[in-house]
Amino acid sequence: MNSPSPFNTASFRQRALAEARYAADIIPQTAILAEVVRCPHPHALVKHIDSRATLAVPGVLAVLTAADFEGTHLGHIHSDEPVLSSVARYVGDGVAAVAARDRQSLMRGIEALRVDYEVLPHAITIDDALASPVAIHDFCADNIADKFQAIRGDWQAVKSRVALWVENTFETAAVPHAYLEPRACLVRVDGNRLELVCGSHAPSMMADSYRPIVAGWGSQLEVVTPAIGGSFGAKWGHPTHLVCLLFAQRLQRDVAMVLSRRDDMIAGRTRAAMRFKMRIGATAEGELVAKETVLWSDNGAYSLHGPAVMKAAAIRGDNLYRFSAVKADAQLIYTNNMPSECFRGFGITQSTFAQEQLIDELAHRLNLDPVKLRLSNIVHEGDTTVHGWKIGSCGIADCLDSISKRISQHRRGKTLPRNERYRTGYGLAAFIHCIGNRGYDTRFDRAFVKLAVLPEGGIRISSGEVELGCGTVEVLTKTVARELAVSRDQLEVVLGNTATGPHGMGSFASRTSFFVAMAAEDACRRFKQGVQRLMVEFAMPNPPILSELIEHARQQQRLGDLEVTGVYQPTGVVVPDESGYGNISAAYTFGAHGCCIQVDTYTGKVTVRQYWAAHDAGTIVNSNGAQGQVIGGVIQGIGFALTECASVAENGQLLNPGYLDNRVPTFADATPVEVLFINTFEKKGPAGAKTIGEPPIIPVAACIANAVHDAVGVRIYRLPITSERLWRAMNDDGSRLEPDDN
Amino acid sequence: MSTGVYLRVNGEEHEIPGQWLGRRLLDYLRHELRLMSVKEGCGEGDCGACTVFVDTEPVCACLLLCGVVADRNITTIEGLPKDFRQSFAQLCEKHGGLQCGFCTPGFTMMSAWLTGGGTETGKDSVNKLMAGNICRCGIYQQLKKVIAELI
Ligand code: FES
Ligand code: FES
Repeated sequence: MNSPSPFNTASFRQRALAEARYAADIIPQTAILAEVVRCPHPHALVKHIDSRATLAVPGVLAVLTAADFEGTHLGHIHSDEPVLSSVARYVGDGVAAVAARDRQSLMRGIEALRVDYEVLPHAITIDDALASPVAIHDFCADNIADKFQAIRGDWQAVKSRVALWVENTFETAAVPHAYLEPRACLVRVDGNRLELVCGSHAPSMMADSYRPIVAGWGSQLEVVTPAIGGSFGAKWGHPTHLVCLLFAQRLQRDVAMVLSRRDDMIAGRTRAAMRFKMRIGATAEGELVAKETVLWSDNGAYSLHGPAVMKAAAIRGDNLYRFSAVKADAQLIYTNNMPSECFRGFGITQSTFAQEQLIDELAHRLNLDPVKLRLSNIVHEGDTTVHGWKIGSCGIADCLDSISKRISQHRRGKTLPRNERYRTGYGLAAFIHCIGNRGYDTRFDRAFVKLAVLPEGGIRISSGEVELGCGTVEVLTKTVARELAVSRDQLEVVLGNTATGPHGMGSFASRTSFFVAMAAEDACRRFKQGVQRLMVEFAMPNPPILSELIEHARQQQRLGDLEVTGVYQPTGVVVPDESGYGNISAAYTFGAHGCCIQVDTYTGKVTVRQYWAAHDAGTIVNSNGAQGQVIGGVIQGIGFALTECASVAENGQLLNPGYLDNRVPTFADATPVEVLFINTFEKKGPAGAKTIGEPPIIPVAACIANAVHDAVGVRIYRLPITSERLWRAMNDDGSRLEPDDN
Repeated sequence: MSTGVYLRVNGEEHEIPGQWLGRRLLDYLRHELRLMSVKEGCGEGDCGACTVFVDTEPVCACLLLCGVVADRNITTIEGLPKDFRQSFAQLCEKHGGLQCGFCTPGFTMMSAWLTGGGTETGKDSVNKLMAGNICRCGIYQQLKKVIAELI
């Protein structure tokens, strides 16, 4: 090995001092550089690749094509993504890869590569893919990658109780994760041992899926996680990793790849674009009785987490209200778009856009206050929801209350200019979310934290979970420092290192802080038991002075007694059945958001003036961190609502592969967000806490869409709510706008 | 072979080798001088993660070729006064001014520029001056507090 790993995971302070090292910062000057050659067509057969000219370029060392990965596919659920494709299925699909000593040779080598394509008919939209006679994958003639159905309750009985149905079709856009750090990886090689260094939110799971492949080459694999410059659900398995691994194995040299922003955007992943046909039925008094969802989810070319995201989008939102009956019918459709992947909120961000607008519509039609309608139908502590979720601590009523108060105060404040051109509107939306998901991986749902005394002094805390900026390092150091009464500078944290650390599932379903804190508490308990045992054995005074005891143990070569692994496994959770029924999470988290927006009726531009976010995240342990998660999630949600979208032309080309045209929120559109934490105590959580990673993005788009309706009387069913889209909606239906009178 | 073209980076003089004259300052700083605080988020001038000072002005190092900044003074975070870096980090801790931290170097440079009186800041112009720096984690509000307390 050229230089020692593991990397100690960067603390907040190191990141603040710009001393954290991300994957691209670790690449040695001597590393071989690799790059993937990407198909310019949305669907094409690779007829022939001529690499002779490439290999003749001085400095070029090797070329890989699909043939080098024959039979190897990636994908956690349906293994359908080739490492390099012999049939390219989206613009950006990798068909070959080149490795060279330096960047110039690499560029020349790529230019010299001749790839002959036979262009095939393609399908970019869901409708095209369903109507198309062309199968995107041989094994799937109808382009339906997966299906899901759920039906609960007595539909005959409830149907007769429904006095009013509201129904509409909603569409959400594919959105690139657009994390600031483009994908990068480095593979270090030491004989048969390959070490993959890359930012990933699930390093152990990634290693699990790569190991059988790498074993086929006669090698072993470890994964090391440096600092991660954002993932939001995107950064884990990716073909570029396998490309670098095979180059490194064959060349016996360290190999690195850093994607350009453009490549990262055309060949990264996106949030799944979805279409919902949804209806909600209520009694005349406003009791929510039934809900039906028909969902089409754009999988893109390969499956990744598409099936799981589809299921979550189809039913999870139902758990917020006391519906007597629900139905869901979902399809996941292969298209010639970039593969979709989980993205903060895991499909619920999409479905909430539909559901929470329908609830508002229903309130208007029934002439009821939207807050009261929600309050009288939400779930409560002790409920078992329509899909079998067992609700523990639940602060949703207080969340709704406090948002509704904020809105009415603001309305009375009359601080905003009112005139013919600018209209003001207020909106509100609510959500429910889980903390971990027992059904995510049926093999296990646990977290481990290992403690070990270091020969040079201090204690190492290791875990297979990672730090994404949500404070995992802080949670671990805080918990261990508190439980063992040691100072924080005695503690070192190593996260996401498969060679040293215990296994970890990774950051899914907002589980990390909750799970690691619980596992760390258990590890500390076991550590203290070790201390007790040694104390008795060494006949030391009680209570022992930890540093003295450790010194003694070192001399006696008994430090192993203080190496412990703590475990957390949630109780009372089950793997849901085929139809998604079952209590998947130890606890649930809730919230309601409100906003004040302004619409420029001349241009259709929406400006969010003020935002309020009320969350029941249990007892807040790290208030700064939690606030930051909420504010960051809301800002990302505003991007999802108003500007972000992967614009794909009919010919399959991504028209906006950069920050300029796929506009994420900047400082200039940073809306003031007021965060309101509704304190509850979750018996099952660490120190009463729940979680806050994904939730803040979930209700934002619906909240803003409801405010748009309030401002100009027009409902937008399709994201993003661009100026043009809103202007058209306001002008096409021909209704003249009445002067703002609120 | 000597080119006679020099760059001063964080106070140190470096002669630029011929093959670097037409290449990006960002790559020179990272690859040759190993100044890893300078990040590449986009390579197109959109994100500000690569911000450095050329003399006293903040610029995107991804948009400049080495030859263009010959004889100029380049400053990266590594060349900022230690106590400024410390107080920036402390304020980030106090206000929760970062998450993944990939944008932090760019914001550190911009904050140093603002506090150094690099420009006249009107009451709300910080928003505009900072609009070239993207934080995908979205914590502008906290960064605003950090900057307000620094100025
Ligand atoms: S990397 Fe230079 S502006 Fe983004
Ligand atoms: S903290 Fe992640 S991009 Fe700013």
